Amino acid sequence: MSALQLLVGVVLPFVAVLVFVVGMAYRFRVWFKTPQPAKMTLTPAPKGSLAGAVLAETMFFPSLFKGDRVLWLFSWFFHVTLALIALGHIRVVTGLADAILISMGMTAENVDQMSSISGGAAGIVILATGALLLARRFVVARVREISGTGDFLALLLLLTIIFTGNMMRFGAEHFDLGQTRAWVHSLLTLSPTVPANGTFLVHALLAQLLFIYIPFSKILHFGGIFFTQALVKRS
Amino acid sequence: MTKSTNTEKVIAAVSAIDQGPKVLKTYMETCVKCGTCAEVCPVYYGKPEQRFNPAWRSDLVRSIYRKYNTTVGKVFGGLAGARAPDDNEAEKWADYFYECTGCRRCAVYCPFGIDNSVITRKGRAVVDTLGFTPPTMQKVIEVSLKTGNTDGATPQAFKASIDFLEEEMRDEHGVDIKIPVDVVGAEYFYVPPSGDVMVNPEATTGVAKVFHVLGMQDKWTMSSHYFDGANYGLFTGNDAHMKADNKPYVEEAKRLGCKVMLMGECGHAYRIMKRMMEAGKWWGDLPFKIMNCMEFTAEKIQQGKLQFDKSKNPQPVTYHDPCNFGRSCDIIEEPRVILQASCTDFREMTPNRGENWCCGGGAGLSAMDSIKEFRMSVSGKKKVEQIRATGAQYVAAACSNCKRQLTQLSEYHKTGVAVGGVHDMLSRAILINGKAAERKDFTG
Ligand code: SF4
Ligand code: SF4
Repeated sequence: MSALQLLVGVVLPFVAVLVFVVGMAYRFRVWFKTPQPAKMTLTPAPKGSLAGAVLAETMFFPSLFKGDRVLWLFSWFFHVTLALIALGHIRVVTGLADAILISMGMTAENVDQMSSISGGAAGIVILATGALLLARRFVVARVREISGTGDFLALLLLLTIIFTGNMMRFGAEHFDLGQTRAWVHSLLTLSPTVPANGTFLVHALLAQLLFIYIPFSKILHFGGIFFTQALVKRS
Repeated sequence: MTKSTNTEKVIAAVSAIDQGPKVLKTYMETCVKCGTCAEVCPVYYGKPEQRFNPAWRSDLVRSIYRKYNTTVGKVFGGLAGARAPDDNEAEKWADYFYECTGCRRCAVYCPFGIDNSVITRKGRAVVDTLGFTPPTMQKVIEVSLKTGNTDGATPQAFKASIDFLEEEMRDEHGVDIKIPVDVVGAEYFYVPPSGDVMVNPEATTGVAKVFHVLGMQDKWTMSSHYFDGANYGLFTGNDAHMKADNKPYVEEAKRLGCKVMLMGECGHAYRIMKRMMEAGKWWGDLPFKIMNCMEFTAEKIQQGKLQFDKSKNPQPVTYHDPCNFGRSCDIIEEPRVILQASCTDFREMTPNRGENWCCGGGAGLSAMDSIKEFRMSVSGKKKVEQIRATGAQYVAAACSNCKRQLTQLSEYHKTGVAVGGVHDMLSRAILINGKAAERKDFTG
């Protein structure tokens, strides 16, 4: 096993999961516990329940839709595709999803086909919208003048992960999910066997670095939104 | 005071955010720098420059917070957008943070609901702690704490104004319409902004006429000592001043034994009384409740208790939702009920209600003549366009600060649009003994 394999396939998975879970739990706990003596509600307050309003914000970005239609288009598709891709990665780590679909009457071929069409489309959409978001940081003055190194880095990191992911899907050499499933299984039984594919190793390396980075960075906004939106929507 | 102790104070004040409140703490850690707030900010609209970009301004605080309170900031410094304050940080903030009108419009459109005005107020609080609050603001605070009103008017001056208003109303209607003063045991204690007694008194005559028509002329009172809800502690970020300015009003209400403190047409005054003092129980449970005069009047109109001659207000009239009423207090439909009842041609400006653009004079800026040019050509630019687009000849604003800014905008840009309050229009059209006021000129 190469040093890279050892790092990406054996060490980082444990570190990344640990840092991510503990980090997020810590952040949520602190936010939750920080006192808020005054109400900050924006009026007119939403008609329905607070939870409904906050959930709507996290799923459809209605405030952003009112404020900047173009950004809404880029960012909504970016985030939704990201969520779908995260979901699609269930197939990467376990054959269970395939088994369920097959038990529902699909053939193994059908499942592969469906995955390559939807996954392929998602891979292209997220690359395109991600690139547009990055371009926006350079081109639009009001965004450029507030963008710092971290803002560019976060996007570049994501784009590289997306790009290497796409390479595995669209590349000439077929990437067999059996390898990753075996790898995840081997990690759980603590007898690691790690795929040797170079693209995969880079993809997994960066993805795990991302997970480690999240609790400390602005990518944390997917957790923060529940708190910040609740503050102004509470009636 | 040496430079280094100033820097330490800035660091300490910013680091205190780590302990809360939750708004500030989450705002320090959540902004994604998407630029949406700039798109909807009246100041940035007026002049799209980095200095006026809300997220950039908020980052003045955020970057210092990062440096001393976050892991990435401590480890990566500048790479993570963290920095130490420089020697003149607070002096510079005294300019930058008085270039945000605290209108909260950014929070409506920010995907995270980040309210940059909260960070602005924090920035101003730091400025205040170090003694760099702009002199005009400082002076208003001092006058208000000393005299109980921001104009520094004496009880004698107040009473003279009231006499004058009663005389005016007698001329207008041929009957005595009272403005009771210092009546212990009155049910309603009316607290306008002092401007509505000294500068634009028609709102006050409007309220007096409402009570008169309802046969409630003995049920309300004003105070000759406490007739100004304005409270600049909200604007300088100084909580102690805000509370010190507020307390005498609560005491006066208790002394008068009122059941309702009826706030006038002043957005921030009502917000402090209702949403901060009452809701936050600053002085414990109160023997009276807080209400706005527009709620009171709108309700009576809807009950059919007030009649109007709309032809007295024939000109096109529009309503400017003051940020503090529209976005922070949910007093939105009430002024419309009043204006629609008393004007022939009421028009909405777009957008309106919770999405209305700020007049450009919010968060106390309206009182600062040192930045008049900025208010006229930058922060108020959008407002002028918005009012022009309605074709209105009169813009009603339920707020003394808005009124001052809007009047100056009207003069500066020569729009010829008259500016006044909501009860002003009511005052001109309400029927008393079947007749509206006799006025020589009702187009102004
Ligand atoms: S809109 Fe909100 S998230 Fe976007 S830059 Fe402004 S404050 Fe930050
Ligand atoms: S509160 Fe108003 S003036 Fe201040 S940054 Fe937000 S939108 Fe701009």
